[in-house]
This record gives sequence, structure tokens and C-alpha cells, in this order.
Amino acid sequence: MKIVVPIKQVPETSNVKMDPKTGTMVREGVESIINPLDLYAIEEAIRLKEKSGGQVIVISMGPEKALEAIKEAIAMGCDDGVLLSDKKFAGSDTWATSCVLAHAIKKIGDFDLVICGERATDGDTGQVGPGIASFLDLPLSTFTSEIISIDEGKIQVRRLVEGGYEELELKLPAVLTVVKEISDPRLPTLRGKLRAKGVEIPVWGPQDIGVDEENIGLKGSPTRVVKIFTPKVTREGEMITVNDEKSLEEAVDKIMEFLIKKELI
Amino acid sequence: MYNKLTREIVNELIEIVGSSNVIFDNIEALEAYSHDEVAEKSYAHMPEAVVKPSSAEQISKIMRLANKYKIPVTPRGAGSGLSGGAVPVYGGIVMSFEKMNKILEIDKENLVIVVEPGVVTNEINNVVKEYGLFYAGYPMSVETCYIGGNVAENAGGGRAVKYGVTGRYVLGLEVVTPTGEILHLGGKRMKDVTGYDLIHLMVGSEGTLGIFTKIYLKLMPLPQAKVDLLVLFKDIDTAIKIVPKIMTFGRIIPTSIEFMDDLSFKTSCRYLNEKIPFEEAGAMLLIELDGNSKKELEEQYEVIGNLCMENGAIEVYIADNATTSERIWKIRRNIAEAWKQYSPDQSLEDVVVPISEIPKFMEKVREISQKYDVPIPCYGHAGDGNIHATPVRNPKFTMEEWQNILHNKLLPELYRVVIDLGGTISGEHGIGHKRREYMPMAIEPAQIEVMRAIKKALDPNCILNPGKII
Repeated sequence: MKIVVPIKQVPETSNVKMDPKTGTMVREGVESIINPLDLYAIEEAIRLKEKSGGQVIVISMGPEKALEAIKEAIAMGCDDGVLLSDKKFAGSDTWATSCVLAHAIKKIGDFDLVICGERATDGDTGQVGPGIASFLDLPLSTFTSEIISIDEGKIQVRRLVEGGYEELELKLPAVLTVVKEISDPRLPTLRGKLRAKGVEIPVWGPQDIGVDEENIGLKGSPTRVVKIFTPKVTREGEMITVNDEKSLEEAVDKIMEFLIKKELI
Repeated sequence: MYNKLTREIVNELIEIVGSSNVIFDNIEALEAYSHDEVAEKSYAHMPEAVVKPSSAEQISKIMRLANKYKIPVTPRGAGSGLSGGAVPVYGGIVMSFEKMNKILEIDKENLVIVVEPGVVTNEINNVVKEYGLFYAGYPMSVETCYIGGNVAENAGGGRAVKYGVTGRYVLGLEVVTPTGEILHLGGKRMKDVTGYDLIHLMVGSEGTLGIFTKIYLKLMPLPQAKVDLLVLFKDIDTAIKIVPKIMTFGRIIPTSIEFMDDLSFKTSCRYLNEKIPFEEAGAMLLIELDGNSKKELEEQYEVIGNLCMENGAIEVYIADNATTSERIWKIRRNIAEAWKQYSPDQSLEDVVVPISEIPKFMEKVREISQKYDVPIPCYGHAGDGNIHATPVRNPKFTMEEWQNILHNKLLPELYRVVIDLGGTISGEHGIGHKRREYMPMAIEPAQIEVMRAIKKALDPNCILNPGKII
């Protein structure tokens, strides 16, 4: 079984500060980590490999620094990695990113599964997993919470849907995006770290994966970030002043009336 | 021997600090100043009034007033102490430093910061970070405690292996003595042997010898990278034997070497729903390294990690990023919280033994635990032998039975063990009134007499924080 896991390196956002003027994140001094939701995809891929043998290849598009994320995934137990890094990739939106990753996966070839995290914690779109499936024209299960079985070129999965679960059977190769419920990511061990250090990670550019340069980077991205702003939260409050017993009762009535009208009680 | 506060005296206090800075006659507001973080209610005591001064001059006047009317004064930082240091055992006035929370100077040339006592310790690091500096004192309560309290208790904490404790960084103090004199000790001097070292007499005096109004702290260059190792061992003995090896064979001084026994980490891991294979382990070490580059730390964690694996570790986990590091530290930080599900009544001890005696100490703790049927999870700073042995009330005991067992049997026995192994009863929380009765076990009579003489010389009327230490 050959599994490809596309991951993203994202800023560590638990202590993030926003620039009040530009509305964007202050990236200075912010550490980069593997997108926390990708850890579940990595873990599930490693478990499948441990159970039935094979190979897990982790790929990531990003700056050279993303090598750290790939090495960390290998330390966890992935076998190999590929970094997609080139100036021409810069500025890619989810469409262009999916296109690049799909080309890279095609080049890796001969795979059975692509497992992605649900979404990245920075962009928060959840579009790249389905995008890859669409570029590769493969069956897709999003929000996958369990792999029930894999055999004879088919995979049975359970996916989390509003109000319950849904079970699907997909033909392999297929693309899954997974939710947290699917696994508990392991911690990298010393042995894993030492092994990762020795693994050579090839760096691929547009030519290596045969992608049309018109379809990548800022040029190939149909979406544009025109403006970033924090949505204003407006609260309409009404102050009710209580002066004596009588106005207290009136106030209580008023509040009750409001709550009933808004169907809050 | 002390007088009660009267309305007239309160009016005099108001004249000194203003009416908005005096709390009197308001039980609800005073209650907040009656206890620290010691869980047992029996250690709490209500103050008669709280004053919130904002200068050394005001404090000096208050102390003169207190001496005149024989009213006890108890200084209080953030109230996060664990020995009752800020509790007004004899009532009287609690002096709170919440208004004295200014950073007075950051001297980048001399690597010194001058602060008032009410500054939250973590705040210091937040402001000096942008100059590439840091303050190395690091008690576990760093996000709430005040620096004044840290100095008064000579607070330790997780980084002591490499960086030592608070006292190492105190270069100078402005102090109001119990009789109201204002002293200026030390300053921005790295060396100073001019006369007795009064600074370090004040550091760790638990608010009994003087009130700090200005604190000069030494800063250090901020390390650029850190990495954590979580090491699982089959038993305590194997885990502890590795500690000196890290320094002698590895030639590395980690920032911290935290130790957790199985009672501690198993409860915490289950509480956190942590899925690493902890059930098969009997002890864990959490080792933190800091340095100037990831590359340098990579070499160091390989040395330490390999050393552990060669010496019987079950597994070594490496955390070199925020995700994994947080996950590892969570286990250590949640021990007390996890045990609260079993019982909130815990006596958080901070005994010290020589590092090599930790396994023997643990053996004795197990015996005591079995004898009284009281769980005693042990965790803490293996790198300096400071162990948080924490007796937790077995719910089968009533509060009264628990108090009796704890104070009359369990703690004295625990302390006896510690002292016989060449250790002592408190490494970083202090004596306060919580451990006062046990002082004669730990310290010879002649030493206590010296301490009494010092106290008497500085505070003839025993006004400042009476009922503590001696």
C-alpha cells in the first residue's frame, strides 16, 4: 500500500497577535508547525502502513523552511518526503495549490490512497483535499472519521456528517480528508528523529512535475485577497434601570418578555 | 500582645495612603486577603484591614504607625504562595503591593531591570524580550505571582538546574525595615562585598525582616531555541541514575530535569486522555534544553537521548516545536489538577534530598503511603532533588481524621525521612506558618537562636509578619 500525505506548515497560532492596522497576523517571531489537523492524516497513514505494510510519502508545498515539517512527519514514522518549493509556486490559492499537489502526486505515481487533514488552521478553507481529488479525478471522502476496511481495491469508510455518520465504499485509489476522531497522533521518538535526519528530501519545481506555469502561483490563482478585515460584532443592548420594588418587577417582566420573544427560554 | 485596629488608627492609615487604598469593615473584600494557595482552610486568617501603599515613604509611615500602636503588618504579593507567608496569622494589617506594579527602568547596558514588587513575574520577560533579554527566575506560577513574593520566598521552579533560583538574580533592593527605616542595598553592581550581604539576608526572609519597594534584577541573553525530551523508564531507580550522567558524561546542563512517578503521570495522562504508551512505564523524566540554535540543541538531545536509551529507557520522545512541547509539558503541569478529581485536599510539599537519594526517598514514601493508606504522588525537579511529594486525602477519611493523620503522623514522618537522607523540609515554598512547627526537626537550636536574634534586631516589637518561620 502506497499512501501520499500532503501537509502544510502553518504559523503556531495559540499566542497569535493581530496587527490592528492591517488586520493581518504578526508573523514575526511566530514559530512554524505542521498544521495540527494534518497530524491526524499522518498518524492514520502510518497506522495503515504498520498494519498492512507499504510506504507513506509526505509532500508539502512551501518555502525551504517547510523541510522541518516534512522531517517531523518522517520522525513520526513516514518513510519519504518531497518538498515542492519554487518562487513560481508563491501566491498560489487553493485551486493552484491543489493543481500543484495533484501533479506531484501523479509524478510519485502508483499510489493507493491520498490522506489529507480536514483543513489548514491558517487558511481554514478545507478546499485543497477535495481539489486534489478533482484534479486527479478520484473518488473522495471528506470528514472521514474511520477507515472500516480496505481490500480488493476498495475502501470502506465512515464519515462525520451533520447529525450522524455516513458509510461509503470507494474504489482505490481514492482521496480522504480526515477529522480528529480518526486517530491520536503519536509523538516523534529519538529513533524517528535520527532516521529523519538521514532521509534525503528531493525538492521539486514546476518543471519536475510537469505543471503548466499558467496554472500556478499568483498568476494561476483565480481568487485574490482584496481586503482583510475583522468583522464588526454589533451588540444591541438595552439598559433597564431599577430604582425601587415596582420598577424591579417591571424590569423582570421586560427581560422575560424579551427572552420569550427571542425564543431563548 | 498586639492591639486591635481602631477606627482612629484606620483614619491615620487613610491619611497616609488615601481612602481608596484602605479596606476596612468589609468582610467580603477582606476575605480575599485571608489566604494564599494553601488548600486547607485552617491556615487562613482574616486581616482587620488591607492597605495598598504606592511608595517607600508611605510604607515607612505605616510601619512607624504600626510600631506605635503595636499592630502586626503582613506583606502580601499575589497570594500564590504555598506556605502561608502572606496570611495575617495575628490579624492586623495586610499590606498589598497591587498598586506598586511599575517597571521602573530597563538598563540594556548593564543588563539590569528595576521593578516594583507588585510586577507580575512573567511581565518582566514580556518587556525585556524585545531587547533579546530574559529574566531567568521561573516559578511555576509565573503568570500570576509577583516578583516581590518571589524575592521574599526565594522562589525556585523548573529552570533551577541551569539558572538557579531567584536570589541569584537579585542585585539590589530598596527595603523598608520593620521599624520604618528605608535602606538601599546593592544596586547595578555585579560584585559587592562591602559589609554583610544584607540583600541575601532579605531574599527568602518570607516578609519577616523587611518590605521590598524596589528590586534590581540581573538579566541574561534570551536563548533562541529550546527542545524537550520526555523519557519513559521502567522504574524510578533507572530514571534517577541518568540525572548525574547527563552532566558528567553528556557534559550538558539542561534547563530543567523534571521527574514524575507513576502515580503522578498515570493520573495526569489518563486525565488528559494522552495516548503515548505510559501504562508500561514506572517513571518519567522531562528534560528541557535551551540554547542559541536548533542545530546545537539537536546535538545535545541526541547525546542525552542516546544516553537514556543505553541506560534502560523504554522510549525517548523529542519535542522541538510548540505542538509537541506543549503536549509534553501538559502532563507535568496537570498532575495536581488531575489528582483533584480524586480529592481536592492535598498537601503540596517541596522537600529536598540529595539527587542520588531520590530512589531511597521514594521507597520510604511508598512505605508511609501504605502505612496510612494515603496516596502520595511524587513529582518535581529531579535536577536539584526538590520533590513535590503530595499527600492527597483518601476520601475514606473525614476531614478531621485527615488533618490528624497528616499533621501528627504523616508529615513528621515524611520530614524525618528527608532529614535523615541529608535533605530538608522545604526547597522553594518556604516555611511560613504551615511548616513552622517542624522547623526544630530541620534546623539545630543554635541556628534558630541566630535567626531569632536577627529578627529581634530588626523588628524589636515583632510587628512584621509575626508567627512565621521561627
